[in-house]
Amino acid sequence: MAIAVPKRRLFGRTKRPGSTREALVGYAFVFVPMAVFLLFFIYPIGYAVYISRYDWGILGPLENLGWKNYSHLWHDTLFRRAIKNTIEYTVWVVPAQMALGLLLAVVVNQRIKFRTFFRGAFYFPALASSAAITSIALYLLNINGLFNKVFGFHRAWFYDTQTALPAITALNAWTTSGTMMLFYLAALQAIPTDVYEAAAIDGAGPWRQFWKITFPLLKPGHFFVAVVSIIGAMKVFDQNYIVSRGTGGPDYATYSVVLYIYNTAIKDSALGLAAAAGVVLFIIIFLFTIVQWALFGRQEAN
Amino acid sequence: MSEPAAPPLAALDELAAGEPVAVGAAGPPVGIPGRARSELIQRLLTYGALTALALLFFVPFIWSVSTSLKPLPETANFSLLPHTWTVAAYKEAWTQYNFARYMANSAIVSVAITFTSVFLAALGGYAFARLRFPGRNLLFFVVLGTLMIPDQLRLVPIYRMLTIFPVTHWNLVDTYQGYWAIRMVSATALFLMRQYFLTIPRDLEEAAVLDGAGYFKTFWRVMLPLAGPALAAIAILEFQGTWNDFFWANLLLQSPQHWTMQVGLAQFFWSYGTLWNDLMAASVIALLPVVIVYLFFQRYFVAGVASAGVKG
Amino acid sequence: MRRASLVVLAVLVGVVAIAGAQARALLPDKASSVKKTTVTLTGWASSPAETAALRTTIAGFERSHPNFTVNYAPINGDYPAAMLAKFAARRPPDVFYVDSNVAPDWMSQGVLEPLDSLIKKNHYNVKPFFPRLLSAFKYKGHIYGLPKDWSPLAMETNNAMLAKAGVKPPKTWAQLRTAAQKLKDANAVPGGAPVCIDPDWARLLAFVYQNKGSFLNAKKTAPAVKSAAVRQAVQFYAGFQSAGLAGTHDKLGVGWCGEALGKEKAAIIFEGNWVVGYMSDTFPGVKYTISPLPKGKVNGNLGFTVSYSIGKNTSNKKAAWTLLSYLVGKQGMHLWTQQGIALPARKDVAVPKGRSAFLKQAGYAHPWQFAPRFSKVIDTANNELTAYFQGKESLDDMLNKIDSAARDALG
Repeated sequence: MAIAVPKRRLFGRTKRPGSTREALVGYAFVFVPMAVFLLFFIYPIGYAVYISRYDWGILGPLENLGWKNYSHLWHDTLFRRAIKNTIEYTVWVVPAQMALGLLLAVVVNQRIKFRTFFRGAFYFPALASSAAITSIALYLLNINGLFNKVFGFHRAWFYDTQTALPAITALNAWTTSGTMMLFYLAALQAIPTDVYEAAAIDGAGPWRQFWKITFPLLKPGHFFVAVVSIIGAMKVFDQNYIVSRGTGGPDYATYSVVLYIYNTAIKDSALGLAAAAGVVLFIIIFLFTIVQWALFGRQEAN
Repeated sequence: MSEPAAPPLAALDELAAGEPVAVGAAGPPVGIPGRARSELIQRLLTYGALTALALLFFVPFIWSVSTSLKPLPETANFSLLPHTWTVAAYKEAWTQYNFARYMANSAIVSVAITFTSVFLAALGGYAFARLRFPGRNLLFFVVLGTLMIPDQLRLVPIYRMLTIFPVTHWNLVDTYQGYWAIRMVSATALFLMRQYFLTIPRDLEEAAVLDGAGYFKTFWRVMLPLAGPALAAIAILEFQGTWNDFFWANLLLQSPQHWTMQVGLAQFFWSYGTLWNDLMAASVIALLPVVIVYLFFQRYFVAGVASAGVKG
Repeated sequence: MRRASLVVLAVLVGVVAIAGAQARALLPDKASSVKKTTVTLTGWASSPAETAALRTTIAGFERSHPNFTVNYAPINGDYPAAMLAKFAARRPPDVFYVDSNVAPDWMSQGVLEPLDSLIKKNHYNVKPFFPRLLSAFKYKGHIYGLPKDWSPLAMETNNAMLAKAGVKPPKTWAQLRTAAQKLKDANAVPGGAPVCIDPDWARLLAFVYQNKGSFLNAKKTAPAVKSAAVRQAVQFYAGFQSAGLAGTHDKLGVGWCGEALGKEKAAIIFEGNWVVGYMSDTFPGVKYTISPLPKGKVNGNLGFTVSYSIGKNTSNKKAAWTLLSYLVGKQGMHLWTQQGIALPARKDVAVPKGRSAFLKQAGYAHPWQFAPRFSKVIDTANNELTAYFQGKESLDDMLNKIDSAARDALG
């Protein structure tokens, strides 16, 4: 029920009537999620920033290092290689996942026969755990395995320094495309059909319809898929760990930033250095995300 | 929700031509004689290509099942079909490893987390998309920020927090509640819902407001039913994400009676000599519930009708 | 639509309830009403056979100590991560495994309880333990764990293939090289290679020790990898591969060298006691012989060992000690090792059947461990070794890089 109230000031801006109530409702709606995030995510980030300035052992601080952890990272060739590998991986895997996911989503969104079967099949790799899928991939990409037999290669894909990271990239693009398909499918469902009918009446062909109508209308979807993809790619760990047995080999090919963090924290018990590496990773991902926000993410003025 | 009539065959033609087809596209009228045969061939080719692609995605599962049906020494060779068929691996997995228990544990936490995640993400996503409150963008960036931290960094602070929870001093380690608490809502889900709600036109909300509906009622009665596909996506994502989670389950559900499927399965992955047939049998058993949940929820993705209500 | 969701929900709840009820029947009996001391025991479980052997040992303990109950809760999967969290929260289990590889870190960071006073108070005799294994768990003069078992590396050879090439299991480096050559000439390993050799310092280091070299100097203050002894050992080890006499596990199409022996893709491999159970389970038909490692200038080997330790923040240390001393005592260790899962770390426990070739190495086994905060250096060392194996860099480059990484870590 809209009651006419005189405009009041809230944080220095002129207010619409009822907007305090709207704000309170807004806060109420997001309260529980924000509490969970603050407690279990933001607090650990703060904790990480704090301990990154110390030589922090298992039982607590051993020595105040100031910014030395960060300068150590700067000079550490292993960390630099980890960053390089991770960014290289991200640059390849994200477009692959997004394109494949979009393609699959468009396909299974059609009223084709056996739609359920196809949806199941394309999402299948995403359903299995990363440990299971990596084990299967190790088997299939064995030097005498199915993949080599079918395509006539003779390489140990995950153990050759040149093909190890591309193999993981391809593996993850394939596995995660199903999840991206799911996201794009949801986004496609939101596009009303009358838009297409109008365009069809205007004589637009399907290709034009896709590029001029569907693709732009998917902008919120693109933003979501791009952000989630990039963040996930920068955090790649499971497959690298399983394939290289934690060493990041062969010849550092699969050494990712999170693997560096894992080894530093859990094998070396150097929690401060690990936290510093985590902060660096966070900043890099944050910068990527801001760029995407500027390009895709802003909502239309409410 | 009633489904629309099948799109004209022309849409399939376009699909066969390899171009992405817009949802619900209406093509030129069909039925021109003489085209029937070429259409049939194109249709067969399309379905053939799609089936080949689908099989490519399915190959690992086929191999898993076939390996699970082989006796252990036979898993050494790479044949697709077993020479000797045996369900011994399944029997062994079920009796030697307490999979009934693991599955129950996985089900408990996955169902609980999926329920709260879906509800809280929808509620929060709606607020971020439609309600105005000061600091909204900042809070949203906080939400995005939570995605950017690797789990390994959160290991120690969260574990310590759960051993003595602030204020209440509960020990939540090795409890379902503790595990649920840290995963009860996910930023990805909230983010997705926000994006989804952004794309829904405002007419219905405005109509509801004019009718005198409050914020929650508008959300519950109007927005939520429209969000079927997004809710389905989140449900699938959260269920599968929790079902397949290893890191936090390994850390927080420690006693054997609390082990989830992934922790129970870890024995196979981490030991020196991989018992391939047991591993695959266990993986197949582990996969089935997720497959069922997925097939159930994917029905909510209906071709081209999501916003049928908006037109009226 | 709503009814369908309700039905699904009901089914799910039903499944959970049924599974839960069924599973409850499988849980161990709750402790009886008599007041007992509960001790928690944690470790990792590599196989059901191991878990069974440990449960036998625990049963033995509970029989001889009726006032105690052992709560055995293995960590399945990522042991170091889970233990790190427990230590950081100051809630460690009472008794737990400590791998010799992480022992330097855990000992130096003070999360383990020194056992000297407990040993003294209880007049516990530590002399039967193999001194080299015990030394892996000593830090600054204190004992932080007692080894529960161990394994060195040995050489496993395929009987049929060696017979075909007319060679006996080699006893020296020269004989090893000759044997490999003869195996290749006789084409005794079709589709594979005579030896399975991986770019892994956890194998190479044994050869380095045999050549009188080492990774670190005696005081563990500086690396010693740039010595001639190390160079020769690396050249010998990698030389098999470059001469076409050996293959790495990935080139042979297997996950590790044990699998190569089983699938008959290699005739000679170097693995520890763990390969025995694996072979009998997975490849029972393959006949092989276990021999000591071929001798270099001196005898040398690696000792992979694990101790039982007590946490610094453990509440009931006396009770923890009672369990620990039993587990590494004569009877406990006998129960644990009698099936051959692992080798006893004490001289006075009988050798399991067929494992004497391993136990003879106790006198010159160097524990597999380095200095605190060294894991990334070993990763670097392995990565550099892989690069050298794949011909991507020279031996000098490799050793220089390892040397500088080690110097950084040692400070």
